[in-house]
Amino acid sequence: MNLLDFLPELLLLAGALLVFLLDVLGVKRLEVFGGIAAAVTALGELVVIGDLGYAPLHALSTIPASAIDQPLGPTLYAFTSLGLVFQAIFLLTAFLVALASLSRPSHEPGAAVFFGLLLLATLGMLLVAVASDLIFLLLAIEVTSLSTYLLVAYPRKEPRPVEAAMKFFIIGALSTALSFFGASLLFGAYGGTSFYALGAATGYVGYPYLATVGYALLIAGLGFKVTAVPFHAWAVDVYDGAPDDVSAFLAGGSKKMGVFAFFLVFLGPLLLAERMPSALPSGFGPSLQITLGVLAVLTMTVGNLLALRQKEMKRMLAYSSISQAGYMLIGVAVGTGPAIAGATFQVFAHLFMKTGAFLVVGAAASIGVGPLIDDWRGLGNRRPSLGVPFALMLLSLAGIPLTVGFVSKFVLFSAAVQAQGYFVWLAVAGLLNSALSVFYYARVLKVMFLEPSPASAGVGATGSGRFGGIGAGRAGAILLATVAIVALGIYPGPVISGIQLAATHFLQIGA
Amino acid sequence: MIYEELAFLLIAAVAIVTALNALLVRELVHTILWVAIFFIDLAALYFLLLAPFLGVLELGVYAGAVTILLLFGVMVTRKRIFSREAATGIGPAPVALAGLSLAFVLLGTEELPQSGSVVHSYDPALLSAQLFNADGPWLILLGLAMLSALAGAIYLVREGRE
Amino acid sequence: MSAFSPAGLLALSGGLLAIGLFGILTRRNFILLLISVEIAINAAVLNFVYFAAFSGSASALSGQAIAVVLIGLAATEVAVGLAIVLALNRLRGSINVAEANALKS
Repeated sequence: MNLLDFLPELLLLAGALLVFLLDVLGVKRLEVFGGIAAAVTALGELVVIGDLGYAPLHALSTIPASAIDQPLGPTLYAFTSLGLVFQAIFLLTAFLVALASLSRPSHEPGAAVFFGLLLLATLGMLLVAVASDLIFLLLAIEVTSLSTYLLVAYPRKEPRPVEAAMKFFIIGALSTALSFFGASLLFGAYGGTSFYALGAATGYVGYPYLATVGYALLIAGLGFKVTAVPFHAWAVDVYDGAPDDVSAFLAGGSKKMGVFAFFLVFLGPLLLAERMPSALPSGFGPSLQITLGVLAVLTMTVGNLLALRQKEMKRMLAYSSISQAGYMLIGVAVGTGPAIAGATFQVFAHLFMKTGAFLVVGAAASIGVGPLIDDWRGLGNRRPSLGVPFALMLLSLAGIPLTVGFVSKFVLFSAAVQAQGYFVWLAVAGLLNSALSVFYYARVLKVMFLEPSPASAGVGATGSGRFGGIGAGRAGAILLATVAIVALGIYPGPVISGIQLAATHFLQIGA
Repeated sequence: MIYEELAFLLIAAVAIVTALNALLVRELVHTILWVAIFFIDLAALYFLLLAPFLGVLELGVYAGAVTILLLFGVMVTRKRIFSREAATGIGPAPVALAGLSLAFVLLGTEELPQSGSVVHSYDPALLSAQLFNADGPWLILLGLAMLSALAGAIYLVREGRE
Repeated sequence: MSAFSPAGLLALSGGLLAIGLFGILTRRNFILLLISVEIAINAAVLNFVYFAAFSGSASALSGQAIAVVLIGLAATEVAVGLAIVLALNRLRGSINVAEANALKS
């Protein structure tokens, strides 16, 4: 084991420990902690991009190219290029959130805990992306979960966030128990927990029925993490009650972690099961695909239908986030190279759209805009610097051309159509849902740009000072997300081909 | 061999009864007592399964630390120690769901050998070697989880000036 | 050396999982919810221990190692859960989930 292979992870750990240490030493300035968090996530991002083989950053790469995308073995962790792509996504989310959080009040008590936990949660996600063992994966998820429960409760003197944390904790603990019970059944069925052993690659053919029950429990346990319907009910209350920056992190980061866990747990066994049909009950692969497909359709439809009825901005965004998880699950259900690439690109796009949207909501709240959608009346005209980025994010979420959301849905749905069979119906369901979602996004646009400002929105409420009272960090993060949405919407080529290559390699490690 | 099977049946019965009782009694302090017995019972099962290290761990961590923590939680959060859990009507849906999951798992017992499997004993030293070498990353991950739990929990319960 | 029926052990852990799920779904007091979660996680630990004991191969030790780690993890969860309970108790004076209603359901 070469420690340097884990350079991004070590950077985050060092950053977290440094933040805690400085806090104990009496440095109580939010800018310092936030600066450290932003710096280590940015540095980690560069290292990961270097590891992915981007030539200009090659000097920073620490993982030898020969160690990436090796065939699965009975190890606890393994580097895959798809995992590295997800690491880049997680680090970018953490960077945006850290940057935006720099604009919180300077002498906020507990700022060190906020940024330290943010770094530890990201560290857990990075480790999920390198897992090649079920227990390693579940423990890494647990590192993130425990950190995020506490992050949600960060404003500890306010009832709403602490109650949200309690709900989050109960559901998270339930999901942990189900996942580990499923893992224990798989351990009994195959005599090991590495994905290599779970694919029965060791030649040990265990108890197929136990394996089926184990996978069913894992679908439930991990379904909570990706907010798949019917395991979604907690998400809206938690996103709603959590501080805006934490909601941005949850939607952009920890849900994506669940998506990658789905890739690892369900694609590996499917691929290996084709090679070793006796390892699983007959018909297991197809029925697993159908189950995941049904979950995907349910998730996007229910998410969209409930989003239509919301009156509050954050709850609307939370439901739309659930429906987006449904689109990503299409990639898992289809399971071909292009579909995985499509889902990954959807995850990548979602990072800018949804994280950005929650950051804008935070910015709006900081200049006195209320939680209701109606409170945003006329904001687009009053504050175009907020209204225009938010409009772009919503258009992208709806999948309007020239935004990254259109490209990602196009890649994903065309992959589903390519895969033939009933997967075509997944694409149809996705398209219908995209059309449905336009309604509630358009309603927000109408409220923001076509309706007059409420009389109460005086000059004072629109903020003052540099960056219009939003703060430089938050403004920068929003700008970055907006630019990425447009740039990737117009010229997505290089990123897509990189992700497609990674997805192709990912399918080969199981073979 | 018959003694071991009898011992197992006894332990299993005690486990089910204490677990159910812990959730169904009305007095919270009684709940803690039942759950302590449940943990001790499980520790006995680990000894029976020739896993003494885990038995000791179960006694120390669960029957000891976790029980005390829970008792502490009850005492701090309730004005009267012997206060009651609000009576809740148990709807049919949760019971059906729990029963369904039980049936689901029980079906798995069909394909397992019904009796007479050999339990292997092992050297606890080998376990530590495994834990700290081959499976070391698991311990590191556990440590990370504990680090974030520590930092966050201290912050959350500290009486701060704000 | 001793002999057991694996089927009986799996029935026991399945039963414990069901009891834990039942508790999580029906109880209102946070402490009882924590206990339900602990019972369910203990069912998983039990599975790991006896599947390890039966397999008798190199993976046996792995199963025991997982059980050790899992016990530590569950204890960590209790600590985090109690921290949230205490914070909520200070704010509300009650830890009944049903009475926590700042969030609309």
